[in-house]
Amino acid sequence: MRALPLLSLLVGSCMMVPALAANSSPQANEWLNKLARAEQSQSYQGSFVYERNGSFSSHDIWHRVANGSVSERLLQLDGTAQEIVRVDGQVQCVSGDLVSGVSTPPSTAPRVLDPLKLMSWYDLSVAGKSRVAGRDAVIITLTPRDQHRYAFELHLDRQTALPLRSLMLNDKGQLLERFQMTRLDTTLPTEQAMRPSDACKPVEHAVAASPLPAVGGWRSDWLPPGFELVNSSVRSDVLRKTTVSSLMYDDGLTRFSVFLEPVKDDSGNDTRVQLGPTVAVSRYLNTPKGKVIVTVVGEIPLGTAERVALSMRAQDAQASQ
Amino acid sequence: MSREALQESLSAVMDNEADELELRRVLSATDDADTRATWSRYQVARAAMHKELLLPKLDIAAAVSAALADEVVPAKVKQGPWRSIGRLAVAASVTVAVLAGVRLYNQDEITGSELAAQQPAQQGLTMPQTQGPAVLAGYSESSEQATGPMANGVLQSQEGWDKRLPGYLKQHAQESALKGTETALPYARAASLENR
Repeated sequence: MRALPLLSLLVGSCMMVPALAANSSPQANEWLNKLARAEQSQSYQGSFVYERNGSFSSHDIWHRVANGSVSERLLQLDGTAQEIVRVDGQVQCVSGDLVSGVSTPPSTAPRVLDPLKLMSWYDLSVAGKSRVAGRDAVIITLTPRDQHRYAFELHLDRQTALPLRSLMLNDKGQLLERFQMTRLDTTLPTEQAMRPSDACKPVEHAVAASPLPAVGGWRSDWLPPGFELVNSSVRSDVLRKTTVSSLMYDDGLTRFSVFLEPVKDDSGNDTRVQLGPTVAVSRYLNTPKGKVIVTVVGEIPLGTAERVALSMRAQDAQASQ
Repeated sequence: MSREALQESLSAVMDNEADELELRRVLSATDDADTRATWSRYQVARAAMHKELLLPKLDIAAAVSAALADEVVPAKVKQGPWRSIGRLAVAASVTVAVLAGVRLYNQDEITGSELAAQQPAQQGLTMPQTQGPAVLAGYSESSEQATGPMANGVLQSQEGWDKRLPGYLKQHAQESALKGTETALPYARAASLENR
């Protein structure tokens, strides 16, 4: 008789687990799979607008899938002609100046949306239908399961599953950024259209043989769940005569970077900036080797960035303890 | 129950030191005339000790009991279905009012943020107080008129805040855009940082 409540508890907990996983709908999952496939198989050209707090810009996009290779060209139509050309995920050229030390990763594996991975951190669901750029769309929502990431609303073309609109929302439902196609044409772009302009400067590729430069001496005590280190680099700033270590983390949908730079002067305050979807938090940290400024930049909530910044530790200090 | 125990409990209740058991014991004994008399005597003694106003022979409990006994029991109101529906309606309207209030309150916030997004030159930055006043620069293409760290939607170097920040923002945006990604979003974010 005594085992009865225990048994019911056991049965109850067994039923809880599938209930948690079932928060994401299989239809939404299928749409995201379709989106990932469409980017690799569907040619298209069109225009889109991008809006964030304080900035609005329009762009043209050409996406050509031919002979098993995917090439893409993006060009900003207003202001300076920002341009980027990618072939099979490899950046061929960009306009404007790159921050010194920024190079394309040697690995060519393109990052694709993985609904199975996303389901651990977001609830995926089909929220209805809409019409964008004159086309019928399905609305897929990605609702975060914790407070460490933002929500997304994707409007995918019903016919091709290409993204027609992407909204990023904070926990209060406020719009942080908007990406929206204004015209979508699913015909094959011509070779001519894919050709970069003269302003597009070729990008040097990192030598594949060189391993990731080790960002030694730093570790994080805490990371928001699901975020993994995807990139790390050390660059020397000639102008300020310092070296900046950077680490980039990714949860499959959103990213943040951590920058670490030794400082000599004591002047400077802790800073917090919200720039549309992007947040920047810097804090001064005292380490055995001197003062270091830790800056977290990324599309994550302010509180999370703050916590990440506070959780960076000098490895050497830990070893000596 | 012994008389002494009851009297001790009575005393404790009067001094506000009774535990729950004693309180129950006293309450269950209040119908007893002897107990009430004892209670009354204790009150007199207490009042004398504290030099308080004294009204001997005042037995409120008995008076209230007598009054209650005389009271005509009111006829039970017939609970028609309309009455409960009416109650439900009141409860529902209160809920609606509360929800509407919350919604309006939230809408205020949303319209505020949307407004900020629609005015490109407005300083759209939540900053700690040290960054100077929020400047509504108005829509202007010329860079002289726009002030604030986010003039024209672009991060300006601002005195008192970190000079490294624009570089970091740029590096994060460019590295995101350069990693082979499936959408145009990181590129658009990086481009929007460059815009002037």
